[in-house]
Amino acid sequence: MEGKRSNTQPLTLLRKIKGFTGSIVEDLARGRAPTIYIDRFKNYCTDTSGNCSCSSDGSTGREAISLKRECHARRIDVLLRVLLIIQQLLQESRHGSKRDIYYMHPTVFKEPSVVDRAINDICILLQCSRHNLNVVSVGNGLVMGWLRYVESGRKIDCISNPNTAYPIPVHVEEVDDIISVAQYVLVVEKESVFHRLANDQFGKRNRCIVITGRGYPDVPTRRFLRLLVDKLHLPVYCLVDCDPYGFDILTTYKFGSLQMAYDAKFLRVCEIQWLGVFIQDCDNYSIPQQCLLPLTAEDKRKVEAMLLRCYLQREVPKWRFELELLLHKGVKFEIEALSVHSLTFLSHEYLPSKIQSGGYI
Amino acid sequence: MEVSSVQMLYTHVIDFLYSKTLIFCAVQRCRLADDLCRLSVKLTSFSRFGRSLVRISVSDTGVGSKLEEYQYLKYRNDAVLTNQWDGMISLATTSISDSEIHNLNLNLKESDSAGRLIKLPSTAKNGDKFSGTEVSVSISKSLDDLLAEVTCFLQKMILVKIPKVVMELLVGGNDPLGSQIESRILAIEGSSAYSPVESIKCLEVGFKDYVRNRHTVFSIGETLKVGTGVANSSGSSQGNSQVVEAVVIISEMSEQFPSSCIREQDMKMEVLYFKDFVPCSIAQSAVDALTSINWKSYGLALRSIADHDGCIMLEWENLPQYFHVHIAIHCYHRQVKQLVAQNSLPDRNLARKAVKCALDDLKENNHRVLLSTRALKICDCAPDLAKTLARLILSSNDLNFQEECCSLLGLQSRRVNMDNVGNCIRDKIVSVIGLNDRNSQKHKDAPSFLFEDDYLQKEDFMDEEYQEDEEAYNSLDL
Repeated sequence: MEGKRSNTQPLTLLRKIKGFTGSIVEDLARGRAPTIYIDRFKNYCTDTSGNCSCSSDGSTGREAISLKRECHARRIDVLLRVLLIIQQLLQESRHGSKRDIYYMHPTVFKEPSVVDRAINDICILLQCSRHNLNVVSVGNGLVMGWLRYVESGRKIDCISNPNTAYPIPVHVEEVDDIISVAQYVLVVEKESVFHRLANDQFGKRNRCIVITGRGYPDVPTRRFLRLLVDKLHLPVYCLVDCDPYGFDILTTYKFGSLQMAYDAKFLRVCEIQWLGVFIQDCDNYSIPQQCLLPLTAEDKRKVEAMLLRCYLQREVPKWRFELELLLHKGVKFEIEALSVHSLTFLSHEYLPSKIQSGGYI
Repeated sequence: MEVSSVQMLYTHVIDFLYSKTLIFCAVQRCRLADDLCRLSVKLTSFSRFGRSLVRISVSDTGVGSKLEEYQYLKYRNDAVLTNQWDGMISLATTSISDSEIHNLNLNLKESDSAGRLIKLPSTAKNGDKFSGTEVSVSISKSLDDLLAEVTCFLQKMILVKIPKVVMELLVGGNDPLGSQIESRILAIEGSSAYSPVESIKCLEVGFKDYVRNRHTVFSIGETLKVGTGVANSSGSSQGNSQVVEAVVIISEMSEQFPSSCIREQDMKMEVLYFKDFVPCSIAQSAVDALTSINWKSYGLALRSIADHDGCIMLEWENLPQYFHVHIAIHCYHRQVKQLVAQNSLPDRNLARKAVKCALDDLKENNHRVLLSTRALKICDCAPDLAKTLARLILSSNDLNFQEECCSLLGLQSRRVNMDNVGNCIRDKIVSVIGLNDRNSQKHKDAPSFLFEDDYLQKEDFMDEEYQEDEEAYNSLDL
């Protein structure tokens, strides 16, 4: 099972919610304006001097919201409404999605991202993760390969069909009894690549587990990957397009997202290594010029912004170098460009050779 | 030349204003006497050469009149006035030390100063010691019209009880049988002695009655909220220390009253202005003071200040239809001067301070009134917040927790239901917001937060132009 933090049990969280509500009531009863302090977390900043505190998992400051400001008053209203719903979910042992919560008061919340922010604030206040609040995240990820596990009492045997895609479980805390004979985990950015591998019987020829988040990985995908790595201690390789978004997705797996920075410790996979595709692969694997696309102005802006992230220089200078190279060359290309040689080039040539030769950083 | 007394002369077309000026001087003479005085305004109807006329007499038992009091009166040459008044003033006056009563006629039409004054034979006092003045003019106007105007004027005078002065309004004329009759229409008792505390209290009580009487139709009764403020100058090189008293009343009419019955003129509110214990048209400095106040910090927005025949009317933006703001300002000199010219003009800063003090006093004592625009917006959230908090408490499956919260809120367990708890919390939220609102105005620095991710709205703290010799306080501090 995913490591259970003792202070995230429903009873503990309910107690914390009561404590929080009680302190607001006490403040009001004593004629004080209640002030809510929310720790802020960042997993990166743009301070490249190396003096920032982002590498520690502690908070980078505190935000105080109170009834003295109108914008805060609205935010407190949203927070309390979401808290009420969560209290009900925990008390009744039911689950709800962010969208469920949003539709309970759509005129007040105005948009789902507002609910998102409130849920994150509550996680920080109660020092837990989203799933502890019985808030279910949408699960979009797929897994296939040499893996078997039990989910909520149900046996999932991917090994029997190593080229069949199974959905990544949403309730990762319910996953147990993980058994695998894989030698490594391969994380691919896109669903199209995932299906390419399945189609090419990649799983039959290679003892591995393949995962995709279908773009930016959602929370269950990241939690599941984290769980596999914790239990199986296998190397993890990441295959993304050679473009700014691919790189961003890669860093999301490795360092976590800014929005979920408060939970980064439980969501990131530090062990992940960048397998490709690199800009040098154009030459190494003779990808013709027509397969390369120029970087747009927006692409360049995104790369320049990412280059400022403090963790790149500090933790993965080689990745930073590759990113700079991308900007310098001014071109990008997709994984599928490798099909220029043959459909099976990716599965039969590129991936095995890269992994065997240690062509990852 | 001192402007304000002349302004009083010219702000109104009606020649009756001459008698307002006359009343002003009479009041100052009574104050100077510092003894129990009587001030009578008498309207007597009579006919001459077939025309019906009214004689207006203002008589007082104050100190004797000085001729300089009349030197600034000018006869205004317009057709209406010429028709109504011949420019003649009859004056009879004596000081305590005089052995006779001087009788004079003043002809204001006469431009030559020598010709203006006509001395008449004096009246002997036969050794009696008294002082007083009687000034009379004859006007060609209907008695009813004049009576209505004088009554209106005197009803305002009730608000500022002149220390040791009794005022009365008398109406006289011939009865059908040709004999003189006289009846007292109105009597106003003054206060026993001047004290700053009494003075502002009188204004407060008088103004409340005045507001109630004006709005009897809407039966507002108990929902009047009052704030008072006083500002002093401790005397400057100009010689005379000034006091400005201000009373602000918020009246809220019953919401059940249909809005169609509210007349347009009710939306504009008159500012009552008094100078040296007499109702006057407002001084420009007081108008400036009103414009310069940061009304937003009281949740108000001033649309316009309009002058209607010397009455200042304030028009507000977006006021609820049942909500009125009434303001009365009294500016006076502690030291009475007989000659108006010797008094300095009312200070804008003093007036502003006094009104602000009154507004703050109102706000301090009435939790939900005059909240700043910002606080009002926050209060909009209060019902929702309260409801959610109430549900957080009452939907918890921990009954002890529910009890604890309810007892913190001061609710008895048998009266606990969603509505009661919600209302209680909502009231506490509004009260806390109000408290913060008042505190944030007292302290110039807004509380600082560790991290700001929202633009900090700059509060427009109007700088108090403190001068060394000024103090401001509300009457409770006295």
